[in-house]
Amino acid sequence: MAEVKTHNFSAASKSSILDPQLRRALQRVGTGFDGARREAIQEVTPQVWEAWREQARQIKIHTLDNLDYYLEMLHENVVKAGGEVHFARDAAQANAIVADIARTRKVRVATKSKSMVSEELDLNRVLETMGVNVYETDLGEYIIQLADETPSHLVAPALHKTKEEVGRLFSQKLGVPFLDDIEAMARVARETLRQKFLQADLGISGANFLIAETGTLVIITNEGNGRLCTSAPRIHIGITGMEKIIPSLRDLAVFLRLLPRSATGQRLSSYVSMVTGPRRQEDEDGPEEFHLVIVDNGRSRLLGDPALREALYCIRCGACLNVCPVYQKVGGHAYGWVYPGPIGSIVSPVLVGLNRAKDLPHASTLCGACREACPLKINIPHMLLHLRHKLAESPNPDEQSPTGAQGLLARGYVRVMSSPNTLAIAHKVGRILQKPIAKKGRIKKMPLPLLSQWTRARDLPTLPPKTFHQIWKRELSRESEDGA
Amino acid sequence: MGQDCRTKASLFVTCIVDQLYPQVGVSVVRVLRRLGVSVDFPMDQTCCGQPVFNAGFTRQGRQLAERVLRSFRHSQYVVVPSGSCTAMMRVFYPELFKDDPGLQRQAKELSAKVYEFTEFLVKVLGVEDIGASYHGAVTYHSSCHLLRELEVRDEPRRLLGKVRGLQLKELPQVESCCGFGGTFSVKYPHISEGMLADKLANVVASGAETLVACDMSCLMHIEGAISRQGLDIKVRHLAQVLDNQIPSPSTKAH
Amino acid sequence: MPSVAGPVGMPKEEFLRSVRQALGKGHPTSGGLESPYLRLGEKLADLEAQAQEIQRRNTANRTELLERLAATAQLLGWRVCRSPNPEEAIGYVISVATTLGAQRVVRSDQAVFNTVPLDTALKIQGVGVTTIARDSARSRESLRAEIVAADLGVTGADYAVAETGSVVVVPRKGLSRLVSVVPPVHIAVVRPQEVVDTLDDVFLLRCLEYHRNGGDMGSYLNFISGPSRTADIEQTLVVGVHGPKEVHLVLLG
Repeated sequence: MAEVKTHNFSAASKSSILDPQLRRALQRVGTGFDGARREAIQEVTPQVWEAWREQARQIKIHTLDNLDYYLEMLHENVVKAGGEVHFARDAAQANAIVADIARTRKVRVATKSKSMVSEELDLNRVLETMGVNVYETDLGEYIIQLADETPSHLVAPALHKTKEEVGRLFSQKLGVPFLDDIEAMARVARETLRQKFLQADLGISGANFLIAETGTLVIITNEGNGRLCTSAPRIHIGITGMEKIIPSLRDLAVFLRLLPRSATGQRLSSYVSMVTGPRRQEDEDGPEEFHLVIVDNGRSRLLGDPALREALYCIRCGACLNVCPVYQKVGGHAYGWVYPGPIGSIVSPVLVGLNRAKDLPHASTLCGACREACPLKINIPHMLLHLRHKLAESPNPDEQSPTGAQGLLARGYVRVMSSPNTLAIAHKVGRILQKPIAKKGRIKKMPLPLLSQWTRARDLPTLPPKTFHQIWKRELSRESEDGA
Repeated sequence: MGQDCRTKASLFVTCIVDQLYPQVGVSVVRVLRRLGVSVDFPMDQTCCGQPVFNAGFTRQGRQLAERVLRSFRHSQYVVVPSGSCTAMMRVFYPELFKDDPGLQRQAKELSAKVYEFTEFLVKVLGVEDIGASYHGAVTYHSSCHLLRELEVRDEPRRLLGKVRGLQLKELPQVESCCGFGGTFSVKYPHISEGMLADKLANVVASGAETLVACDMSCLMHIEGAISRQGLDIKVRHLAQVLDNQIPSPSTKAH
Repeated sequence: MPSVAGPVGMPKEEFLRSVRQALGKGHPTSGGLESPYLRLGEKLADLEAQAQEIQRRNTANRTELLERLAATAQLLGWRVCRSPNPEEAIGYVISVATTLGAQRVVRSDQAVFNTVPLDTALKIQGVGVTTIARDSARSRESLRAEIVAADLGVTGADYAVAETGSVVVVPRKGLSRLVSVVPPVHIAVVRPQEVVDTLDDVFLLRCLEYHRNGGDMGSYLNFISGPSRTADIEQTLVVGVHGPKEVHLVLLG
């Protein structure tokens, strides 16, 4: 499994938020992608957009509620088309499957188009250890592969890199002169990877959708690497999470309408490639073998909790990242694992272990911008709350995070709020305690542990002499008896 | 007098208004009474439970929610000067009591009769013009729970639009979060401060002298930075604007 | 080929069992006629009827459809040439090849090239043309070498979608997958009867094809909606990464 740094969110976010280059990059992506998304919605009209969202959500609800049925159908149809289907419980098993295919088919060179699931598995490292040369071909993924980094966004994995950094990277790793021009860099990538596409024994792809009815794997790309990975080598392996299924071919239409617009504001990406088994005998080209590797890796935990199941409706468009004020401040790496941002704050903890990622469900104001932007209307804020409840109260030791101090505070809070009398006493005590630190109705520095974090950059108001309870009793309640 | 046919509203004043900004509660009562509403205030109320619920403590949240159900059992309407507390009661209470049919029924009853203050004015009373006046440039921040959990978007603006003398300046990126988020503000202060800085920059850019919202939690947060930076921007709950109040909500002589 | 399903992956039944467990189901969801999803229960006759309705509608609206296809395709980055007759189409292809300084062209073996015979005209210009179709003399490997060496790839289309400005190519005998993606420039020659209105139209027609052939619609299908592009470096748009940087749509009729 890919290295897990989800426990480090607080420290990682504190340093990433200070990075001005990251700030600029995030602003570009945020306003760029989100602005384009909004324009695309306006173009089709919000009414039509809402109808599409509802249609897509209904399809996903139905499919995930009957996932076993559709997995069975998918399996049958992929096999009918001449492909092989492999099931992997976890990362280790998925890697073993791919490694076994690579070994028995004597694979030397592999090209990869984008697959987030393969990042979960850390598949590249596994293949390289066995002596297979693996080349990421999506330009953003290629850049971070050269830089030995992880992606920082679902759709734009190298957004945190300036063009100068890419220029330096290419000259260091590819031996080309330093380039300043983005078009020139793309040309270098094209030329370098072209040979790899044509040399490769194995092409590895992810899947945006899997169509149960026909046994088809669908990938949506702009660069053309997806087509070359799935057409040029003699073997194609598609690696996918088990949740990517939709029932029928005709269901694909609404998702093709939602995904590119939500991701980048495009009406449709340059290519939609649909793979149904290996090449047929009469085909002029195409792989001789097609393998579909269907991965669980913790998704059944999301599936098994009705409150979390809808996290599996995600089509990985990245819209939630682009509107999230927290992601926009800290960037993707702070989240510490494959999936950042709002959806990542649910998926990463459940997949790696909730108590290894206890910051993620809390690092949100629950503002709901993500749910509003999500084409599948996934109720992210409510799921974050659900995870917070598990962290505080779950009897399961893998989920519960020790909340000694916080639990005490919560119980203390309830004690104070348990009656207007205790609240009134607390108010009186507060009025006394605040005297030394109150200046002209403001508290500039709070000595208490957690509240001192507030007063770093903000003043606190002081407790007024009378609470509303008191004012009501003394001045306002009488009026309620008038006019009767 | 015979039967009292006036609309009866019970005020859930919210712990933040009760403890820190009681003048907001006074404005709410005055505005409602001016509109002929009979207002009562169940004295045994304290907190809706949202702070502990949002921190993950549903058991504690439930304890406080049960008190609220009891206090407002017989109310005709419950009016709340806060989008987030209203959302807690309308959206989350039924979920909180899902394992107790009796209490869940009560929670659903409360759900059906609880309204955020501006919602109540516009949707229930059918009123937009309170006869208020407020001279100056005002900008409105739409708090997140009000906007996205309750879908209250227009009502506050319609009310502000009828206030004589008030110039409404549009707040750039009006729908973006102020960064409070309850304990978020102290658990991730660096992020909270960053979001607050953006919100404050937009408030300043709007050119308004007064910032108005329907949630004191947001206003307390933003005012915290206004005060620290010594900016000359007033902060008011919308009820105070409708009540024509001039003094600052958070200070009297101490 | 040695199967790897056994010892390496999880057996299907075990995987499905764990899914069912997560869903809280003791037994498999029933299928067949009680299929929970209506779309999958449609009979071939219904699909045929819907297909006929699509053809009828698209034929009736042909003029408008062609205009909309041309406009949308242009928006998505195709260079569009409306060719009322085959001569103009051939002329356009020649001009593209000449502008490129192309020396080698590869094309698919499709019916459209009977109506629009490119080969002779190109050869007159000194441009070599290879049809990518295997025969006794030419293997997959040799044809692939031709494609890799080509400056320009020309195909017909199976469908062209007005809604999205897409050309849909379904690889099969005589229609290579690589012809439209490897060379730096791709020309798609589209006949009016291939133009459909929406994505729904295409998928219904493919669905029909699938079920008509006892559950086979070919190994591959590609929607091409403009040139290859990326915005991965500083979100700056670059056209022509791994796929063609120029795509031309020659719309007959």
